[in-house]
Amino acid sequence: MERIIQGMAPSEVVDKLRKADGYYITNTARDLSQSDFKNRILLHTDLLAAPSRERAGYFSLEITGGASVHVDILRKQVDPFLKLELLREKMPKTMFQTLCRGVNLFGYRPYPQNVIRFTVREFAKYVDVWRTFDFMNHIPNMQAVFEEVAKAGKINEPCICFSTGPEHTDDFYVKKVKDIIDVTGNDIILCIKNHGGLGSPQRIGQLVDAIKQDYPELPIHYHGHNTDGNDIGRIAAAVINGASIIDASDSSMTGYYGPPPSLTVIQTLKELGYNAIGINEDAVIETSEIIRDQRQYYAAFESQIKGFQPTVQIHKLPGGAMGSSLEQAAKGGFLDKMPDILHKELPRVQKELGNYWSVTPGSQILWTTAVANVQGGERYGTPSGDLRNLLLGKYGPFPFYQPEEWIYEKVLGADWKKVLEKEGGMDEIADMDLDHERVSLSEKIGHEPTDQQLVLYLQHPNDAVNFFKFEEKFGKVYVLPPSIFLHQGKFNVGTTLSFTDHYGKEHVIEIGPSMVNEGGESNVYLNVDHHQRIYSFAPEAKAGVAAAAMVLSKEEILTLAKNGDIRAPFAGNICEISVKEGQEVAAGEQVAMMEAMKMQTPVVSAIAGIVTTISVKVGDAIKPGAKIAKVDIDE
Amino acid sequence: MKKKILVANRGEIAIRIMRAIQELDYEAVAVYETPDKDSRHIRTASEAVFLGDGPRCDYLNIDKVIKAAKHSGACAIHPGYGFLAENPDFAKACEEAGIIFIGPSSEVISNLGNKVIARKIMADAGIPMVPGTPNLSMGEDGVQEALTFAGKYGYPIMLKATCGGGGRGIRLIESDEQMRKEIPVARSEAKAAFNDDSVYLEKVVLNPKHVEVQIIADKEGTTIHLGTRDCSIQRRNQKLIEIAPSMIGDKELLDKICQTAVKAAKASNYTNAGTVEFLIDKDYKYYFMEINTRVQVEHTVTEMITGIDIVRTQIKLALGKTLSFTQDDVQLRGHAIEMRINAEDPQADFMPEGGKTVSLYRSPGGYGVRLDGFVYQGYTIPQVYDSLLVKLTVHGFTWNETVSRVRRCLQNFDIAGPKTTIPFYMNIVQDPDFMRGDFNTSFLDTHPQLFEYKEAPNEAEKLSKLIAEIHHRGLNPYAL
Repeated sequence: MERIIQGMAPSEVVDKLRKADGYYITNTARDLSQSDFKNRILLHTDLLAAPSRERAGYFSLEITGGASVHVDILRKQVDPFLKLELLREKMPKTMFQTLCRGVNLFGYRPYPQNVIRFTVREFAKYVDVWRTFDFMNHIPNMQAVFEEVAKAGKINEPCICFSTGPEHTDDFYVKKVKDIIDVTGNDIILCIKNHGGLGSPQRIGQLVDAIKQDYPELPIHYHGHNTDGNDIGRIAAAVINGASIIDASDSSMTGYYGPPPSLTVIQTLKELGYNAIGINEDAVIETSEIIRDQRQYYAAFESQIKGFQPTVQIHKLPGGAMGSSLEQAAKGGFLDKMPDILHKELPRVQKELGNYWSVTPGSQILWTTAVANVQGGERYGTPSGDLRNLLLGKYGPFPFYQPEEWIYEKVLGADWKKVLEKEGGMDEIADMDLDHERVSLSEKIGHEPTDQQLVLYLQHPNDAVNFFKFEEKFGKVYVLPPSIFLHQGKFNVGTTLSFTDHYGKEHVIEIGPSMVNEGGESNVYLNVDHHQRIYSFAPEAKAGVAAAAMVLSKEEILTLAKNGDIRAPFAGNICEISVKEGQEVAAGEQVAMMEAMKMQTPVVSAIAGIVTTISVKVGDAIKPGAKIAKVDIDE
Repeated sequence: MKKKILVANRGEIAIRIMRAIQELDYEAVAVYETPDKDSRHIRTASEAVFLGDGPRCDYLNIDKVIKAAKHSGACAIHPGYGFLAENPDFAKACEEAGIIFIGPSSEVISNLGNKVIARKIMADAGIPMVPGTPNLSMGEDGVQEALTFAGKYGYPIMLKATCGGGGRGIRLIESDEQMRKEIPVARSEAKAAFNDDSVYLEKVVLNPKHVEVQIIADKEGTTIHLGTRDCSIQRRNQKLIEIAPSMIGDKELLDKICQTAVKAAKASNYTNAGTVEFLIDKDYKYYFMEINTRVQVEHTVTEMITGIDIVRTQIKLALGKTLSFTQDDVQLRGHAIEMRINAEDPQADFMPEGGKTVSLYRSPGGYGVRLDGFVYQGYTIPQVYDSLLVKLTVHGFTWNETVSRVRRCLQNFDIAGPKTTIPFYMNIVQDPDFMRGDFNTSFLDTHPQLFEYKEAPNEAEKLSKLIAEIHHRGLNPYAL
């Protein structure tokens, strides 16, 4: 059997998969980066790996989508489109795969239909296989993506998100498969999306078999995570029962929460009589050897807690969220409370909120709620805006059962029934005026944006603009290896750094001495291509002074609120200002929306009155206790 | 004691002149204003005299410059171009102070600087000229004279300030109505700029070639020419690229133009180096435009094809020598192109980039390449002077060879900090019309594609900024 090559028609690909005498492998490099390295594996490393990954003969390389599009521009300072273009140059045969969150695209909340379609159209120019899911398995949430992918002549790979529990039966999932095929037709690949790595090998085997019984011609792609250390068992069971494609990645980079090592999968299945189609084992090994050296530079982004987590079967956090959750716990200083949160509160919240699938953005809602329940004292006492939306059914209907009434009451208030009646159900999201957005982006960056820039801006308005400005100032920084881009601490004086820039020019930079002048300004001397350059940095503000002035207790913030002085309840970004100066507001009315840890929370006025001052603007990053707005009692 | 010569100028031309002074084994004295305190022309001179805080007013201050010359013991002053170069009062002040003014006499400067007197001298000598008027009478009479002229020759017509020059004090008139409106405006502007509200008219020659002849004359009346230059490639009447000799194929015509230039110089009793400018229309009829009584920016191209050092010759003639070569000694060899590398953004209507620091400067070299500049790495371009950084002058045996050499040199430049005219010139040297030698003053207007280029990004510059920041902070703040 030969490998599948980029450029084949979807029907041809599906046909080859149906006739496959063995199984194919997708290299889920993106998921590995997201799950085990907080999404920080740089394009530089992927470019190093590209030639041998190309020769390795994978079904596809999953290299974009999920949180990576956002992290690309936010923390890796690389254009997600340029990334695909550069990888394509080095990997002409390998199909590229993405992970798309349906209406939520690569973000955390629903986008308007025209934004979804525009985004898919632009990415479909580079992406061949579209794995699309919805955390509620609510198929209408994926429809626009299905349609645009089909129109672009690319391959649809709809997911059924998988979890465990009494409701998660074969019958339920087989029915979901039927619902999907009713919408997409037969020329698709079905993905069993086991983002938590849940269930035993036997459970996965059964499920694959059950689907195959009803849909023998449907190619199944099993996606799992190795969080409990047993994904190879589940992969083997899936292949034995008829799955055509499985996910794994390069062994030298594998960690605890992402994909298992591909070579181990190949070796295991070989003895069981299953051949990895198109795979060149030497090239698989070579890839690992080439990038092994790079791993040391990503150490800061590896998990805070080492070791597999078989308890994932209890807390069900998806592999892709393990890293960020642990990071948040470490930064928030509650790493010690993790056993309680993970093993007691999270399963409890999960059950209380309907036992839906713990995957983005649903997993963030569960996690934030569980953390708040443990940290905040009173359970459901400080609900996030997204939990509110979940209960209001904004993401779609609960798949099995609704939460109990007391939770609605806690989150929506005493008159929750009225609120639910009035605001409940999915919103029809109005299309955005793309021409208007294009103009406003061109004003922000000072030139006409490309379609690709507009796509990024529509996804993440502030972060995209910051990225465009970054690139203008610092150039195309993907050329810097992690040993430079992610360097921790100062370089030694005399260190020589060399790299080839985006335009093919080679450069040598030698680190010279640094000096602080009497004004506190630091001068860094570099030898850039054998010419001395000086870079000056203003003295950094004394953090202590500002911080001291800022600290307000929760009680103080509440007291101020009762006087109309609205302060930030936590550290975050202002993502919306809902009122204007001079506007009348009612008690409980939203004045702004804040975002922190990907969750949006409304900031409301505690009193009725007139907004006299607004002290923030959209995009501001503010500290707890910072002034947001002032409301004067209307007398 | 070595002879001292003061250079009453700044920037590249000051350095150019100082080099000639030093080659004659004299000492060069610089002058400067405060914004020029880091200028390289100060360091090139043997001594420098501070004139004042400026900007510009001290370089233009005749008393201060004369005082500086006396104080430093300079016997002569070279005015360069711009500033006091064509100011007859300055030449006269030098004459009165017993200092040699390197250039023609104040009388010649005065006559040729007055467009109307100049036209009369040329008309008397039978030099072909664009139809024009004497100074218009004041008030309604003048307007009537203008309208009569327009009736005879038709629009468009140039309304010019008699004392203007260098592209200043010129407006294009296309209708009677506009004529009526613009004459008083032009008068008041000329009054403000040149302290003389005289204006006159000239028929417009549409899309001419701008061809000029370098002439040089000694006090004994020997006047010779050093061939032609084509300065057609201009923006807003300011030259950008100059070529020697003119690319007009008709050698007889060029020779006739050169003879006419010599005649014009003689008619005005010209001494020292000067330039006679002509317009050539589409039928290859040529018209006298003006005589510039100074060393031109573009004198370098003539030096390259003749081998004659014009500035050195200027100094020797001013110090009383006669010409040491004859017209027959002057042989034109090959082609030369000069490009003015300006700190300007051609894509923003040549907006000057003053105030920016040149953080990286690497220049080309090699066979047939000459650089006249004053910019250096770390230099901050003052906002108060012109935007010329360096003149690239290239010599080659054939036109093709010369154009490719220019292209190679433009590629070899590496300037970071200000935007420059280099990427724009890169487009010009690859333009088929330019490569054929086919251009006139409408070249930029008829070739808008020249403005389409992407600034060659200096990635090392940008990336090292990030590396400096990572090093300074001990982490990458953009990757947190």
